[in-house]
Amino acid sequence: MSNSLKMIRMLGAVSLLCGLLIVVTHVNTLARIRHNQEVIMKESVAQLLPGIQKQVIYGVENNGELTIKAGIESEGKRLIAGYDGGGKLLGVVIEGSERGYADVITAMYAYSPEQKTVTGFSVIEMRETPGLGDRINKDAKFLENFKALDASHPIKTVKHGTKKEPWEIDAISGATISSRAVGRLLDKSVQETVPVIEKNLERIQRGN
Amino acid sequence: MSEISCHPKAGALKTSDPFVNGLWKQNPVFVQVLGMCPTLAITNSVRNAFAMGLATTFVLFCSNGLISMVRNIVPKQVRIATYIAIIATSVTVVDYLVKAISIDVYKALGAYIPLIVANCIILERAEAFAGKKPVVPAMLDGFGMGLGFAFALTCLGAVREVLGAGTFLGISLFGPHFEPWVLFLLPPGGFISLAIWLLSFTLWRERAEKRKQASVVVAEAVGVEVH
Repeated sequence: MSNSLKMIRMLGAVSLLCGLLIVVTHVNTLARIRHNQEVIMKESVAQLLPGIQKQVIYGVENNGELTIKAGIESEGKRLIAGYDGGGKLLGVVIEGSERGYADVITAMYAYSPEQKTVTGFSVIEMRETPGLGDRINKDAKFLENFKALDASHPIKTVKHGTKKEPWEIDAISGATISSRAVGRLLDKSVQETVPVIEKNLERIQRGN
Repeated sequence: MSEISCHPKAGALKTSDPFVNGLWKQNPVFVQVLGMCPTLAITNSVRNAFAMGLATTFVLFCSNGLISMVRNIVPKQVRIATYIAIIATSVTVVDYLVKAISIDVYKALGAYIPLIVANCIILERAEAFAGKKPVVPAMLDGFGMGLGFAFALTCLGAVREVLGAGTFLGISLFGPHFEPWVLFLLPPGGFISLAIWLLSFTLWRERAEKRKQASVVVAEAVGVEVH
């Protein structure tokens, strides 16, 4: 057998073995990983909507209609409406994802239908560069952007220190790609989801 | 540096030698000064440091074992590509396992786990040891090197957590009146702690070496055969 063929055969065999190992691990850890991700999501909802006493999870159907889901573990696109002790709507938590620098960034943000603003942002999963891109979940100044981000206008990430409008996100210096990804994530998700919330606002406010 | 560790004296190799070598004599952090990125970045608490050490140990153990198994059938020209595929697989497996076992540890280490693949200790052990030795010594070497790495990271983590937060494994040590040296939790604290440990370890090794030499001289003087 020629040397090249031997090399190809060997690399193929090693790749096959490696692939098999990864698949076996993935299948065996999937249920547990999903459970852990849901725990993080629950924590994020509590952090995004302080004072939340009750929540209703809505699944978003393809035609824009809402259906009530039994638990946070439900699959598909969903909205989590949070209410205070008196049953008043505090806000809606929405999940979104966008390609970042290293991999897909999955995040949750709180939206206030009353003020039409994003009122909080929290990253669920990311693989951004430690010390640079991962600051999108730690940098206090960056997170300030999401205390009252105007969502009635297309959201845009601007260069660090040049934010002028309430719908602009002031990027982190040194982590522009990750900051822009957050801007795109919010803009895309807001444009997709806010019309659904507006359409069903009365129902969401009633919590049924 | 790898020359010393990959060519143990022929005939004098005991099964446990590669293990002790990695854990102590050729400690990857304190002696070889390898893998500095996780050493400085992850050691701001004992728990994170130890978890990172264990994750690296698992990768070293698995990759060394698998590489040793295929060492005789892999053509030389593609050996590095094969090693990288095996190491990347081990890291992916660890990534899944940590994600499944503890979400808190994953949140703290999440971004760093995929970077284990770029940790030079792993490829160095593959090329210098596992690619040339039988499976058992290769796995022992991976286990020893990994535990040596975990030990060093935990040492650093202990200094940084105790001084920087006043806690050990999250338990408060000095009461509410202690003013923590936050510097030790920040990157400069990593460099300072590493310098302190490297200095202490080197001084200790030099002393041990001198004592050993002195005992050899005494033994030769009295005519005892020294092995």
